[in-house]
Amino acid sequence: MTAAPNEVADRVRGAISSLKKSNVRDRPLVEVLELSHQLADAMKFFFGSLDQTIHGEFKYIADFIHKAKDEISDLCPNEISGERIPGASLELDAVVRDTEAATETIMTEAETLMCADISDPAAYKEQVDAAMMRMIEACSFQDLTGQRVNKVVTTLRHIEERVTAFSTALGVTDSAREETKEEIRDREQLLNGPAIDGPEVAQDDIDAMFAEAPDASQDDIDALFD
Amino acid sequence: MAVDMSMPVLVVDDYKTMIRIITNLLKQLGFENIEDAADGKEAFAKMQGNNYGLVISDWNMEPMTGYELLREVRADDKLKATPFIMVTAESKTENVIAAKKAGVNNYIVKPFNAATLKGKITAVLGEF
Repeated sequence: MTAAPNEVADRVRGAISSLKKSNVRDRPLVEVLELSHQLADAMKFFFGSLDQTIHGEFKYIADFIHKAKDEISDLCPNEISGERIPGASLELDAVVRDTEAATETIMTEAETLMCADISDPAAYKEQVDAAMMRMIEACSFQDLTGQRVNKVVTTLRHIEERVTAFSTALGVTDSAREETKEEIRDREQLLNGPAIDGPEVAQDDIDAMFAEAPDASQDDIDALFD
Repeated sequence: MAVDMSMPVLVVDDYKTMIRIITNLLKQLGFENIEDAADGKEAFAKMQGNNYGLVISDWNMEPMTGYELLREVRADDKLKATPFIMVTAESKTENVIAAKKAGVNNYIVKPFNAATLKGKITAVLGEF
């Protein structure tokens, strides 16, 4: 059992104090040796407890590192970085490809119809029907992209659960960090992107701003939002 | 004053599909001379060499956003009177206010339809 730091200090202090009080010159050799022995015992006790304390601290650190390694293993980082994230990237690439292809089909059919010859109504109707069918077929992309996006969302949720469990187990909190260049640009250029549930400011409200105050000063604009 | 439907119109967007959509809509409205640029920097360079009667621009583009393009245009003596309509998914109040303060003539939030585009162009250029 490790002695309390105060007890160790008291012993050393006591041994030194004894030595100071005694006049080594006048004491018999036996007494001098006895005092030296007491000091040696006190120092031995001190360094022994120091070893115990240091050992205890190192053991605590080793145990923590071991636990952190176990938590990191539970994250399955290799699976996440080697399979899940690349898989999600491929799915999103496919979503972009699928939507581009569908958009191309739909727009081409629409543009062709807008330039179609309408002099022969029957032929024109046949052309329109065929084009509409191809456009309807192209809309099937939504089913595939929906499935792909769901897979990506599943991956993101998996990663979120793992990271949350990891940070909770280790008691990790977010540290302050500097903005990246991209974040600074996004903030300075007001790049918020499309809102989740549609435009935050409706077109009608925007129109009202421009109609009521076509040459508005900053005060006029601010007043519209009071 | 009647709108000159042959005046060059510049459409600025980094998505080819959106350029195609707006171009088609403008053609349906009767505009004949439509050009495009993929970002603000390319657009500003084109504007130096061409007198566009209208600019329709997206906001989020690289390397130069539509917001930066608008400010550059309004700061340029030769270009500052160019009618400029923002067509963008940026729909926060701060975006609308910033664009208004920078001198945009009108602002359309995506998604939009042909009627909205016609209405805003009419508001900026007059009936056509």
